[in-house]
Amino acid sequence: MSATTQSGPAPRQAGTSEPLLVVEDLKVHFPTSDGVVKAVDGLSYSVERGKTLGIVGESGSGKSVSSSAIMGLFHGSNAQLGGQIRVDGTDVLQLSEKEMRGLRGREVSMIFQDPLSALHPYYTVGAQIVEAYRVHHDVSKKVARKRAIEMLDRVGIPQPDQRVDSYPHQFSGGMRQRAMIAMGLVNDPSLLIADEPTTALDVTVQAQILDLLQDLQREFNSAVIIITHDLGVVAEMTDDTLVMYAGRGVEYGPTKEILTHPEMPYTWGLLSSVPDVVGDTSAKLIPIPGNPPSLLNAPSGCAFHPRCTHRDKVPGDLCTTTLPELVPGNRSMGHLKRCHLADPEAIYQTEILPEIAPDLVDEER
Amino acid sequence: MFAYALRRLFSGALLLVVMSMVTFLLFYASSSTPERYACGQKCTAQQLEQTKAALGYDEPITTQWAKFAKGVVAGREFPDDEALREAAPELVTQCEAPCLGYSTGYGETVRDLISDRLPVSVSLALVAFALWIIIGVLLGVMAALFKGRVLDRGIVALSLIAFAFPTFFVGQIFLTYVSIRWGLVDTPRYSPIAEAGPWAWLTGLMLPAITLALVYMAGYIRITRAFVLETQTEDYIRTARAKGLPQRTVIGKHTLRAVLTPLVTLSGLDLAGLLGGAIITESIFNFNGVGKLSVTAIARFDLPLIVGIVLLVAAIVIAANIIVDMLYAVIDPRVRLG
Amino acid sequence: MGRTRKRFVALATSAVVAASLAACGGDGGSSSNDGVGNQEGQEVTEATKGGSITYLQSSVTEHLDPQRVYVGRDISNLGRLVYRSWVQFPSGTTDATEGTTPIADLATDTGTANEDATEWQFTLKDGPVWQDGEPITCEDFAYGVSRTFATDVITGGPNYIIGYLDVPTADDGSSQYKGPYTGEGQELFDQAVSCDGNTITYKFKKPWPDFPLAIASLRAFDPVREDQDKGDRSDLVPFSSGPYMLDGEWDEDSGGTFVRNPEWDGEEDTNRQANFDDITFEVGVEPETIIERLIADQGEDTTAIAAQNITSAQYNQITGDVAERAVNIQSPFTNYLVPNFNRIEDVKVRQALALATNRAAYIGALGGELASTPAQTIVSPDVPGHQPLDTFGSPEGGDVEGAKALLEEAGVETPYPITLTYPIGSASSENAFALLKETYDEAGFDVTLDGLDPSGPYYETIQKPDSDSDLIWGGWGADWPSISTVLPPLFDSRLNLTANSNGQDYGNYDSDEANALIDEALAETDLDAANELWGQLDQLLADDVAYIPLDTTNFYYLRGSGIENYVNSVSTSGYPDLGVIAVAEDAQ
Repeated sequence: MSATTQSGPAPRQAGTSEPLLVVEDLKVHFPTSDGVVKAVDGLSYSVERGKTLGIVGESGSGKSVSSSAIMGLFHGSNAQLGGQIRVDGTDVLQLSEKEMRGLRGREVSMIFQDPLSALHPYYTVGAQIVEAYRVHHDVSKKVARKRAIEMLDRVGIPQPDQRVDSYPHQFSGGMRQRAMIAMGLVNDPSLLIADEPTTALDVTVQAQILDLLQDLQREFNSAVIIITHDLGVVAEMTDDTLVMYAGRGVEYGPTKEILTHPEMPYTWGLLSSVPDVVGDTSAKLIPIPGNPPSLLNAPSGCAFHPRCTHRDKVPGDLCTTTLPELVPGNRSMGHLKRCHLADPEAIYQTEILPEIAPDLVDEER
Repeated sequence: MFAYALRRLFSGALLLVVMSMVTFLLFYASSSTPERYACGQKCTAQQLEQTKAALGYDEPITTQWAKFAKGVVAGREFPDDEALREAAPELVTQCEAPCLGYSTGYGETVRDLISDRLPVSVSLALVAFALWIIIGVLLGVMAALFKGRVLDRGIVALSLIAFAFPTFFVGQIFLTYVSIRWGLVDTPRYSPIAEAGPWAWLTGLMLPAITLALVYMAGYIRITRAFVLETQTEDYIRTARAKGLPQRTVIGKHTLRAVLTPLVTLSGLDLAGLLGGAIITESIFNFNGVGKLSVTAIARFDLPLIVGIVLLVAAIVIAANIIVDMLYAVIDPRVRLG
Repeated sequence: MGRTRKRFVALATSAVVAASLAACGGDGGSSSNDGVGNQEGQEVTEATKGGSITYLQSSVTEHLDPQRVYVGRDISNLGRLVYRSWVQFPSGTTDATEGTTPIADLATDTGTANEDATEWQFTLKDGPVWQDGEPITCEDFAYGVSRTFATDVITGGPNYIIGYLDVPTADDGSSQYKGPYTGEGQELFDQAVSCDGNTITYKFKKPWPDFPLAIASLRAFDPVREDQDKGDRSDLVPFSSGPYMLDGEWDEDSGGTFVRNPEWDGEEDTNRQANFDDITFEVGVEPETIIERLIADQGEDTTAIAAQNITSAQYNQITGDVAERAVNIQSPFTNYLVPNFNRIEDVKVRQALALATNRAAYIGALGGELASTPAQTIVSPDVPGHQPLDTFGSPEGGDVEGAKALLEEAGVETPYPITLTYPIGSASSENAFALLKETYDEAGFDVTLDGLDPSGPYYETIQKPDSDSDLIWGGWGADWPSISTVLPPLFDSRLNLTANSNGQDYGNYDSDEANALIDEALAETDLDAANELWGQLDQLLADDVAYIPLDTTNFYYLRGSGIENYVNSVSTSGYPDLGVIAVAEDAQ
């Protein structure tokens, strides 16, 4: 396929009404004394009510920054924001801090990676949930407390009427994340952003938390964004997947499509880095060489080119000079990729898959 | 918590015993000549020896310490010479337990001397403490909130200036100009609150208290500013903002609560250090507190007084440590004493 | 004067000493500066009664006990306020002779001695009472001096009486009388000091021709009533026989207030005018602050006085009205250097040192003519018999050529190494010693400055007979106006030199000739003839270069504008005379 220079249509823009969250050409730049750090640079995606988007990428790829931007957490900081973030049709970047506060925690709420550090150590769990509720609801403490207990119960904390008065450090890691989720959902938000919600947890607890999130999503019919670097989480939880690299989306499409027919070498790298516990022991773990690039001084052309082992398959010095557009690849209009490779599918099938999942290749033969 | 306090008190007492021994040892290791001071001029070698004996400094250091320790436990009588006490009972000074000894330089028991001077140092320390905590923390928070702006720079510059000027200089300038030359305030002097009332007590203390508070205030501005800035990067502050809490709640409740903990520790120990006397400030303003007393004690090689003050200051610091640790447990639910 | 007191004061002040011992005031005028008041203008006028005085004090008054007080300022003040004795010096006089001539106080006259001055008698006046109205008795006087023998309780005071009184000594050299508290050897003391009715008899083992001078100059011979004596516990509880008495308590660190003693009627005690109603001693104020307050002259400070030298940094503030309230006179304190005879044996080298001593530069560094005056003898100008000696070179000193010639004559290798040991103090005193070194070095010496802490190693070092110091700083003031309290304590080798210590004879000077002259002079009952002998001794010391005089410190005092009748009397050693001072009517 020939690479097109046009921007592709926004994926999955079906139906007449706009999705709950639309992010368009989002830019988050931080001026520093050394120059401008382009943490997010031209990011676009959307999430519909009841759907889950997974955002995947290494640390520093801009995945957390973009979600903080949705929360309006850069208000009052020196960050420069560009583009649009529309929540239910409202561009949150245009809101005043006061208007934003009304949205924050009510329409959009967030669950953070490490519940221990994300919960205030000096206040009881209950007090923190009560506070989150009362800031958006003019109710008495008693009512709010009842609501907090109800939420704790809902997220599966035993004896919630007692644990409501416990401090975060008195909870186990999983319980803390449940409490965090309870706090995130106490106001029935239409969008829940879960920033690496299971990273800091024991593996056995991870699954419980993910199940809980799925249950709750069904129950509340919220849109959910799960930020993670764990492709297992993505596979299990999400409808769509956005792969981010160096502040930009590099591959975006339905999760199943992305995982089975990835078209971007960086995504291949991510897949190659996932150990498959049930899979063939002959499968190789192939780490991505090198380190994530500095966002202060991003590589020219395709930001991934210094680490890309398939650069030689692109004619000329395209990779180092020209930034590829995020456009539909060969497979479908809903599957976008940012890569100069002409036929990534072929390379994946012949070169990558046999390395990382030989049994899969065998089956296909 | 009670058992904990008890255990801490016990180990604190042990520490005091060791400190008294160390003070005795250091005193004799240095070239201290208390008898030369007491004997005065025209003191022949023979009289020097007599004086040394009269003061009890001729005895082995272990005996001296044992007598001191006995005094603390059971009390003592002075002068030490029993025959002299029997022959001339009118000379006897009773020193009840816990007796810290008798200062020959002052002709008073060390305990009376210290209990006379302690209210002065405590008053000075408390007023200075109130000043520096209120102003220092307030300015520190403001500087942090306006980080990088003119207000922040102004406050930081102010604290640098206050920090750069030594106390003796500031005190002398205050005294010379504000009080003496311009006559804006009366010459500062200590009036006991019980006798003169709170107003006279406070106004008399104001100038030295400001002098004393300035340098601490400077430190607290910077510390508070740093603590606030550091706390603002904490995840739980982000959580608080993500909940949609207004800024004043985020700062006034979530941030300050977290900043409070290290501030309590620091200020508790700083205050404790001052309760044992502010040497320079007390000297400049001629406040007869424990600080000035300690200068005299050292200048005169007055061992009982030196030991007494060392133990007092140590006891205050130890007590402050225990209190601060217990307060810590109250403030920070994660800390459990046991 | 006493170095022990001095060294502590030296810590706080400059090289100038604030607290001093008895005797001698300035003879005035000699060092006065234009625009600055001096003693010549001071005279006693008809005084206003009433008012309150504040006495600002930097260094503390450690003893109020008559047998223990040994600081000149305190001796003078207590003698005018609370303690009376057999004899006293006339108040308010700036005349050197009049001011050092005792007049009767509690005694009917100035005392009677036997022919060789080994026995003195005084008879008590009828009438004077203690502050509780009880009459003062002869026994009170006997009890007073007996306390000095209790060396384990009554510490710090002058103890001449132990050396003079005819009480046998024990094998270890101490007196067999141990003081009134244990009563050990009481009968021996009672034989030496006895009362017959109102007449007391002191028996001495050697002549004491100027005993009345000692009585008037110190408080050690003042009466003490036995029932008021609690040893160390009564140190700060003076029991008054004078015009004032302590109101409440004396706090060593903050002072106290003296108010009128209602039992003192002033009928027969006319020497103490007792003009003011009360005097408050504010103790512990920093020296600079005292001067600042006196310059500002505000509120209560208008009636304030102080025995505190204006610091050289504050000299330029003493102008106009302020200068009219200042006085600059010579103090009784002389500073000097002693060559260590154990190290510099060649008299020519010592003479070279004496000639090269640059007094002008030294004084310049201390603050110039307002701070001190060059000295040509160790005997202070106010002590009768004072005679400047040319042997030490010109007043300014610093004769480089003369010193070079002497060193050449001596045939010693130059530069001749010298270690100059001195007490560290202020920046200006450091400077002063550096300037001394400069001139010595020019003259062919190679001086190493060895500054030591006067509160510790200084005296330890210089009192060692085998110390490495070649040239040592000392300071002295007479205990009473007699050379007998200057030269013998410093240069009598029999008093000073022992195996481990050289006492006050830091230069280890040991001369039979000098010792013989001392004995002769001490035995001479005619004070003029004695001064003749002392003069010979001083010349001998100068010829031997037993010491090199440096300077006589000045008193440069300031007072509030509401003070009247302010006199730095000779009789109060140059300190403000509280016997005549008054508060102006409009300042009351």
